[in-house]
Amino acid sequence: MNAEENRLAAMLNSEKNDTPCQTKTLGNFLWDDLPDATKWADCVHCGMCLEACPTYQETGEEQHSPRGRVYLIKAVAEGKIDVNDAFSKPVFDCLDCRACETACPADVQVGGLIEEARGQIRQAMPLTGFSGALSKTALQGFFPNQKRMKTLGGLMRFYQKSGMQRVARKTGLLNVMPKHLKEMEAILPDVGKPVLGRYPEVVPAEGETKQRVGMLAGCIMDVMFSDVNEATVRVLTHNGFEVGLPKEQGCCGALHVHAGDRETGKRLAKRNMEAFKDYDKVLVNAAGCGCALKEYHELFRNDPDMLPLAEEFSAKVEDVSKFLYDNDFKRPKSEVKTKITYHDACHLAHGQGVRFEPRQLLKDIPGVEMVDLPDADRCCGSAGIYNLTHPEMAGALLDRKIDDVPDDVEMISMGNPGCMLQIAMGVQKHGRSEKVVHTVQLLDWAYEKDKEKARKSIES
Amino acid sequence: MARKKRNKVNPDAVVRQLMNIVGEREVLYLKEDLISYECDGYTMTKGMPKAVVFVKNTEHVSQVVRCLNRERIPYIARGAGTGLSGGATPLGGEVIISLVRMKRMLHLDLDNRKAVIEPGFVNLKLTQSISDKGYYYAPDPSSQYACTIGGNVAENSGGAHCLKYGVTTNHILGLEIVLPNGEVVEIGEDGIPDQPGYDLLGLLTGSEGTLGIVTKITVKVLKNPEGKKTVLAYYDDINDASQAVSEIIAAGIIPAALEMMDSIAIEGVESAAYPVGHPLDIAAFLLIEVDGIAAGIDDQIDEILTVCKHNNVREVKVAKDEAERGLWWANRKMGFGAMGAISPDYLVQDGVIPRTRLPEVLIRIAEISKKYDLRIANIFHAGDGNLHPLILFDARIPGESERAAKAGSECLKVCADVGGSITGEHGVGIEKSAEMRFIFSDEEMAAQTNIRAVFNPDDLLNPGKLFPQPGRCVEVKQG
Ligand SMILES: Cc1cc2nc3c(=O)[nH]c(=O)nc-3n(C[C@H](O)[C@H](O)[C@H](O)COP(=O)(O)OP(=O)(O)OC[C@H]3O[C@@H](n4cnc5c(N)ncnc54)[C@H](O)[C@@H]3O)c2cc1C
Ligand code: SF4
Ligand code: SF4
Repeated sequence: MNAEENRLAAMLNSEKNDTPCQTKTLGNFLWDDLPDATKWADCVHCGMCLEACPTYQETGEEQHSPRGRVYLIKAVAEGKIDVNDAFSKPVFDCLDCRACETACPADVQVGGLIEEARGQIRQAMPLTGFSGALSKTALQGFFPNQKRMKTLGGLMRFYQKSGMQRVARKTGLLNVMPKHLKEMEAILPDVGKPVLGRYPEVVPAEGETKQRVGMLAGCIMDVMFSDVNEATVRVLTHNGFEVGLPKEQGCCGALHVHAGDRETGKRLAKRNMEAFKDYDKVLVNAAGCGCALKEYHELFRNDPDMLPLAEEFSAKVEDVSKFLYDNDFKRPKSEVKTKITYHDACHLAHGQGVRFEPRQLLKDIPGVEMVDLPDADRCCGSAGIYNLTHPEMAGALLDRKIDDVPDDVEMISMGNPGCMLQIAMGVQKHGRSEKVVHTVQLLDWAYEKDKEKARKSIES
Repeated sequence: MARKKRNKVNPDAVVRQLMNIVGEREVLYLKEDLISYECDGYTMTKGMPKAVVFVKNTEHVSQVVRCLNRERIPYIARGAGTGLSGGATPLGGEVIISLVRMKRMLHLDLDNRKAVIEPGFVNLKLTQSISDKGYYYAPDPSSQYACTIGGNVAENSGGAHCLKYGVTTNHILGLEIVLPNGEVVEIGEDGIPDQPGYDLLGLLTGSEGTLGIVTKITVKVLKNPEGKKTVLAYYDDINDASQAVSEIIAAGIIPAALEMMDSIAIEGVESAAYPVGHPLDIAAFLLIEVDGIAAGIDDQIDEILTVCKHNNVREVKVAKDEAERGLWWANRKMGFGAMGAISPDYLVQDGVIPRTRLPEVLIRIAEISKKYDLRIANIFHAGDGNLHPLILFDARIPGESERAAKAGSECLKVCADVGGSITGEHGVGIEKSAEMRFIFSDEEMAAQTNIRAVFNPDDLLNPGKLFPQPGRCVEVKQG
């Protein structure tokens, strides 16, 4: 089908729908929820973003650079090229890491533009075949569904506890899996039990209540890293915050939006906006989720009814490390003796501009020695489920990340579960021994030592 | 909506030959993959290439060139594509030879202060990779985060710190070149700058990719200066600022950098990624840096402060630490891109003027701005008289691109009229080839095209650049 036929078909469809705004198209973007032309109008084609972009660094290809991607999206809007596979590839090969947004002098929102273009591509070319099925099950089946995620967590717990894991690893059953999945399996954390549903909906502050805050438990975080969620609740309550864990909350929708499924993304966004409507602060310990929540207004930019609500909600969202720092967190007194380095999760550093606060949190723990990680804010290749969809590129970035980790550190700290899984996989693959931790966990350990000491001094 | 299959375009015979040389995945030929190569950092003229070839070594370049020569297909070398005069932009149908994957450092010899690199090596990476050993590479174009040293050689690029240290040509010790017949030659003996005979290094540097493709570069690296201090001076009157510049140079001080920005430029950088908090109601600021042996620096700074005050400065300050100095420079170096924050498109011009004529030139530029009803910002390497008027426009408004191009051309005319030149560092490319007539007679240009013909007899390498094409006027397309 050529462009003209596409346009005709879209118009015919819209006539059937008889909603007036449906007839809007933009060059060869013919589908609902059109991309935002002002975003590419900002780009002056200077190229200052090129070297910041991991996929350009790896390939050197202009269409795999931020400038090139913006140019391609604009070319579709100008009717110069069609929405087809050759257009889709550079748009979907983007890590959505936002490094370009930090580098860009003109504040071009490349990430948002890419997500909007993906929305068009997925409507133009719905996924079929195996990858379509995989993506559908994972994205529409599991992540949005708290119960199924829990079942998955339960199964994994069973798999690990029952000794099946040992058997599988020993017998080489794993050898039938593709390489990158095998590497992934090797580092799956010991799965605990999700916090959501197990903890009360309101966890009271220790001592006097300074403020009520809502907390997003997240899906991957809560299933794979429930210990990080437990630590986050402890750290917040220890600092005098009452932590709300409303049961109605769910997946943030980031992975869906990244994959071009904006409709599911919007559905999930509405659910979270509703769940946290009684809170003026929503704290997040997963950078990817935090960034998504902060950008709900981008998701609803073509929906005048929802937009103000989404803007109001996004303004309430904050990363937990920044919140703690800004609210004068209790400086721990006990020592945690360790040499540590910090990796900037893309969606924290580039996405939310949070770089200083988590480092300061770590530095304020007695005994912690911080060592710089060169190019700390270069993507580790995790990028949502990018490591599953683009194993080659993700693997190359992971190797570079691990090569950069200084030799003598004991721990690598960060603020995003996706990076934690990815970097743990790298540590394992490279035969190294660093422990991968969430920033808040370190603070939690220091506080727990403080509490232990306090208990002992009361006893004695 | 039906799913669209991959466009059924099969590589033609030439593309297949190129694939045989460099590998199948190393050649782009689909329209969607080529379209972002339609232009470089200069977006007023665009043309589709026939293909893009990624080379990994000199042998690849030589074979690709031989093949294209045989097939009589024109070709262009391309680095990062940050050029501002259309040097890497196709007129239509050329094969682009991309050198970005040739980005290794081949040899580092700090004892003799030189490095041998491939042309795709990114400018800033060179300094970054030797800074821990106390060395740096001096030419620092504002695009240094992305541009390649191969591109710098082709454009003879300058930068803020070239006032004291010289532009690219002063830092090149040797080149390996693939000539348009495919032959590989080395010029400039390893590290020995002054060879008897013609200065071929000087000829090649700045030849805008029309004489040969650079495949290996030996550059000078310098020891970090012992000390460095930076001054920022705010002025209410541009005449005072210009007078201060002249007096600083007259006092015998050679600052490492001496930069000026006018109020519209300041509005831009303050709305962009690295705002400093410059007052928005000043006429201009000067950014002055001195470096060298620690002992002399404070005296020079005192002298500069005195000159600034004597010329009615509103406020003048010395950077209190490296962080502040870094921010001032990041703010300045984002200058061009920052225009994106206050205007959809910009056209940057690159005139050179005698320093002392600045106030009068700025008045004439303001008149041009009025005449064409387009805002013009000015960023000025004040120390060496290299002026960058940035013409702000919106390519989506019919006619604005053409008006911007005309305004740009008039700015260059003003520079030529006061005894200056039409390009300081960005090259002529497609953009300014017509304006070459402002400064060269037909005979002078014929002499130069004769030199080109010695290297590039069939004009297959980067055709249509640098010199006006007889009977062809540059077409302006919507940006
Ligand atoms: C925001 C911004 C700021 C800038 N600031 C400055 C500045 O301060 N000073 C300055 O001088 N310039 C500046 N420039 C212009 C530009 O960055 C320089 O001209 C730079 O040297 C171009 O390098 P590139 O790798 O991008 O080359 P490209 O744009 O890819 O190519 C430029 C020219 O060089 C040729 N070429 C490239 N590689 C080779 C090779 N290996 N062999 C032979 N020919 C080759 C091309 O054919 C073309 O003619 C700026 C540009 C931008 C966008
Ligand atoms: S988001 Fe990351 S991968 Fe995508 S264009 Fe920007 S820098 Fe490149
Ligand atoms: S840095 Fe920003 S303005 Fe410049 S090319 Fe990249 S996206 Fe466009």
